[in-house]
Order: sequence, then structure tokens, then C-alpha cells
Amino acid sequence: MARLLQIFGFLSVLFRGATLTFQSLVVGGVVFLIFVLRRANVEADALKPACLRWIRRAAFALAAMQIAYVMANSLILMQSAGISLAEVSGASFVLAGELGILSAFTILALAGPRHSNGYADLLLPAAAIIASSVITSHAMARLEYRLPLVAFTALHQGATAAWLGGLPYLLIAIRRASSSDFARQLSARFSQLALLSVAVLASAGLALSFAYVGSFQALYGTSYGAMVATKALLFGLLLLLGALNFQLVRRGPASAILASLKRFGEAEIGIGVTVILTAASLTSLPPAVDLARDRVSGTEIFARMAPRPPRFASPAMQELPEDIYAAQKKAFESGSLSTESYVPGQAGTRPNTPAEKAWSEYNHHWAGIIVLAIGLLALVAQATNLSWARNWPLIFLGLSVFLFLRSDPEVWPLGPNGFWVTLADPEVLLHRFFVLLVIVLAVFEWRVQRGHVAPGSARLIFPVLVAVSGALLLTHSHSLGNIKEEVLAELSHIPLAILAVTAGWSRWLELRLPGENQMRNVAARLWPLCFTLIGVLLLNYREM
Amino acid sequence: MQPGRRHLSTLIFITLLMFLLMLSSAAAHAVLLESSPALKAAVPGPDVPIKLRFNVRIDAARSRLTLVGPDGSAQALEISKQTPADILTAQARDLAAGEYRLRWQVLASDGHITRGEIPFSVTRS
Repeated sequence: MARLLQIFGFLSVLFRGATLTFQSLVVGGVVFLIFVLRRANVEADALKPACLRWIRRAAFALAAMQIAYVMANSLILMQSAGISLAEVSGASFVLAGELGILSAFTILALAGPRHSNGYADLLLPAAAIIASSVITSHAMARLEYRLPLVAFTALHQGATAAWLGGLPYLLIAIRRASSSDFARQLSARFSQLALLSVAVLASAGLALSFAYVGSFQALYGTSYGAMVATKALLFGLLLLLGALNFQLVRRGPASAILASLKRFGEAEIGIGVTVILTAASLTSLPPAVDLARDRVSGTEIFARMAPRPPRFASPAMQELPEDIYAAQKKAFESGSLSTESYVPGQAGTRPNTPAEKAWSEYNHHWAGIIVLAIGLLALVAQATNLSWARNWPLIFLGLSVFLFLRSDPEVWPLGPNGFWVTLADPEVLLHRFFVLLVIVLAVFEWRVQRGHVAPGSARLIFPVLVAVSGALLLTHSHSLGNIKEEVLAELSHIPLAILAVTAGWSRWLELRLPGENQMRNVAARLWPLCFTLIGVLLLNYREM
Repeated sequence: MQPGRRHLSTLIFITLLMFLLMLSSAAAHAVLLESSPALKAAVPGPDVPIKLRFNVRIDAARSRLTLVGPDGSAQALEISKQTPADILTAQARDLAAGEYRLRWQVLASDGHITRGEIPFSVTRS
């Protein structure tokens, strides 16, 4: 039962993130179709079928995700509270889900090929999709200023969808446009829409931040505040890319700028999805303004983050709990497990022992040395013609061996539990999978660096996985049972995550931008620098 | 496959991979701001009024309060209907002296489910 709840708990967050992304793609597509491809001429008409096809695909995916989310959340509620299906069917999240599903199917039906040029009838179901999302946002559950908060949330989500959700359609349109001039015309029109959207989403976001964060101290002292600040930083990164695009559209011959425009657009989409996923994880955190107690002070952050020599002495295996599950059970029985507040599926939080924390710090510090070496060697490879420096991806093999030995000390080869336990425990299995992934990455990127891989999408796997690992760091688990430790852990991970996202997408731009674009050189220097900084930060990682 | 399509497929791949990797995220949402009995408090019996105040609107009809007695037996408590949107109230009757745990599970109006536990003791009145 507990395992079932845990799985459904995880799945409901997964479906929520997917719902927000597909919602942006559907609404962004509709807005693009109506406001950017608005003119009824032969050139615009030729692009409409492709846009409509992607709107239908996104609407289908949205409906599927909404159905899955409603089912997972309903099952959690029925299993954990013993509530009947009839009772669950009246819950607000079910009604909101039904509205979203109905609207997605309406768009699916209306977005077929047609002879008339107007698509204004898609706006109503698109607005209903935003409404269904707002019903399950923080705004609906607030006790004060509910109506203005609902309005700001709707504006924020609508503008995000118009901008970030519209970007993939711009890329599709540019690629298929009949002439460079027409592609440039479309880009200029989309830029106007993007500018307006950015203004609306930033203003609404600012108002929501005032309401949900409330003070500067809450911005760095709570998980919610720190995530809002992260979102703002990534938004800044997006604006920078947007500004580069804007500059491109305004100057130069159309044929020369389009290739760069598409590449910046791709990076914008990737970072945009990261921002949307950060927003999805924000919706499942309590607003900072509600956590008056247990905020982390500046002094506590400084005490944790102040530079100290790395830990190069590991605690002995014998000092670690022999069986972490037995330790959890023991903590529960002795009452030291925090069970004041948690989600169904969690079993409460057992504080790590000092030996476990020291073990983790040691792991992070050695990982820091490895990543620092990767960053520095990649910088040397970029700046010089030294052929041996291009072997830097092989250092990842060292990281994989280290992870294999140290990530799960209770199992083989270091621990008492045998190799087959690996297959029975999902967490251990996941760690082993990551080890395998690092090996594949090392070999693959090494082949790219040595020039053994032909230009193409395969070369993009490394930057994509680096960017994804950054996004993963932003969405790791939180628990109300140990608020201060969670905030401090979050504050340690956020800079690493932002650097990883920046590294991934700058490497992407280095590989994808045309040679004549000067930003390509900047991107080429940026990602090794990010790796170097990640290494430095890991060397000062602390859990106590 | 055309180069353009291949790149688009890569973007779709990124999106899907991100979702898969999000599996580690799960968080509580409703925050218990105030409770009576308070955490680890000693209250006089045998009848104990229960009141929980949260930071958000609660769907009381789909929330549950359960009292676990000193012998480990669980008893569902009836939640009163006439309360403000952020408050759950109930009445525990005929409690013998001893250690109790009040287990709560709430559905917030935005669809998030949170649960928790309040240990307290009942003394002879």
C-alpha cells in the first residue's frame, strides 16, 4: 500500500509537469496561429497545416496527461482516505481536470484542416485550458485576495504559453517559410508578441511573488522563495537569448540571420521547459509567506556555505547504518522520525547521522575534483591546439567508478548486501543506471571530441543530458519534516543546477550556431567555465 | 529523416527525458499553522475538542481525521461541517488517560493532498 501511494505520488507530480508543458504548447500554438500567422495570404496559408498538426498533437498529449493526473490523484485520495469514487468525483481537481480534458478534445476537433481562414473559435477552449490550470494553482486555495491572485495567475500562465509555447511554432514556420524575407517578417511579428507576453508575465509574476513570498528574507530563507529566485534568474537567461534574437531580426540580411535565429530559439525552448518544470515544482511547495517559522537566516546560510577545506577522509563503512530501512523503522518507533507533515507515500524523514553526512560530503568533494579537472581541461582544449586535452571526457569514467563504489555503500561491492539486491531496490537500480549513463556519455563525447562522430543530432546528446541533469537538480524532493535542512540543501543545489543548465545550452549553441556568429565563440568558452565553477562549488558542498 | 525533423525530434526527446527525471519530486503543500491539542501537549480528558488551522482552504468533505489510541486502535473522527474554510474541527469523546496520535489528511482546494500526525497525551481531569 505504501509503495503504491509512493508510485502514484511520484506519478502525479510527473503528470502535473507534463500538463503544464503541453498546455503551453497548445495555447502557444493557438495564439501563434491567430496573431502571428494572421494574414490570409498564400505564404501564411502554406504554414498553417503544419502548425495545426502540432497543435493537435499537443492537445492530444495534454488530454492524455490530464486524464493520467486526475486518475493518479483520485487513486491516492481513495486509497489514503478511504473515499469512494463518487465522493472524489466532486473534488475541485477532478472538475478542473474534466474542464481541461474537454477543452483539449475541443481543440483536437476544431484544429483540423479547413477552408476558412479564421481560427478565432480556438481561443475559447484555449482560455478554458488556462482556467483549468488556474483552478489547481495556489491562488484558488488562498484565504485572502483570492480573486486578484486568480487573475494574476491566469495572466502569468497565459503570457508564458503565448511566448514559450509559441516558440516551437516559430521554429516550424521559419523552417518551412517560402522565403527568407517572409521568415524574417514572421520573426518580427512574433518578437512583438513575445515582448508583450514578457511584460505581462513579468508584471503578474512580480505581483504573485509579493503575495506568496512577501519579504526579502523569505526569498532566500525558504524553499519556495529560493525557487522563485531561480525562476527569475532563468527568466533573465531567457530574456538575454530573446534580446539576441531581437537584435538579429532587426539587422543584417534575412538569409544570414535565420540560421542563428533558429538556434537561439532552440536554446530558449529548452530553458523555457526548465522554467515551466520549476514552476510545476513550485505549485507543490507551500508559499513562503505561510512558513513564518523555520526560515533559514543569513547567518545560518553563511555558516553552511563559508569556504572550508574539502573532506578527503571518509568515515569507515562500520560507522554507517548497516541497513537504512532498519534505521528508518527504528527512528519511527523511537519517535525521532518527523511526521508532522508529509505527502501520502512518504514515510516521514529520518535525519541523517553525522557519519552519513560526512560520507556524502566526501563523495561530493571528490566528484568536485573530477568535474573541476573536466572543466579546466576542456578550457585548455578550447584555448589551445593541444590534442591530448581533447581527451577530457575520459575523466568521466573516473566519476562513474567513484559513483559505482560510493553511492550505495550498503550494497555490493562495498556493503554486506549482495549484487542481486541492486535489482530489487529501485533507488540502487537508478544509481546503477546513472553510472552506466556516465560511461556512455564519456565514451560518446570522447568520440565527438576526437572527431569520430559526424555532425548531426547525435552530438547533441551530451549537452541535452547536461541540461536535463540541471533541471533534475531543480526538481528534487522536498519535505516539510526538516524544513531548515531542506532549504539549505536546496540553496546548495540551485547554483549547481543553474550552471548545469547554462553549460548544457551553451554547448548546444556552440555546436549549432553557424560559424560566422560571434556568440558561438562566447558559448564555446562559457560551458567549460560552468563545469569549472560546478567543480569549485562541489568542493565546498556541506551537509553540516 | 530530414535534418530539420531530426532536430525537432531531439527537442521532443529533451522534453520527455525531463519528465522522466522529474520522478524524484514530491512535496507537501497545506501547512498546519495551529492545532488544538498542540504537538506533544497534555490535555485533560475525557472529552477533547480538536481544531486544526491550515494556511489554505481545505475541502473538509474529502479530508480525514483519525485518532490512534494508547493501544494502537484507530478511530475515525467526524469532521464538523460548519467551520471556516481553513479550519477542521471534531470532538473526541470518552478518552482514557494515555498517549494518543491524531492523524490528519487534508485535500486543499487546489487539489494537493497532505497528511500529518500530532502526538499528544490525555490526563485525568
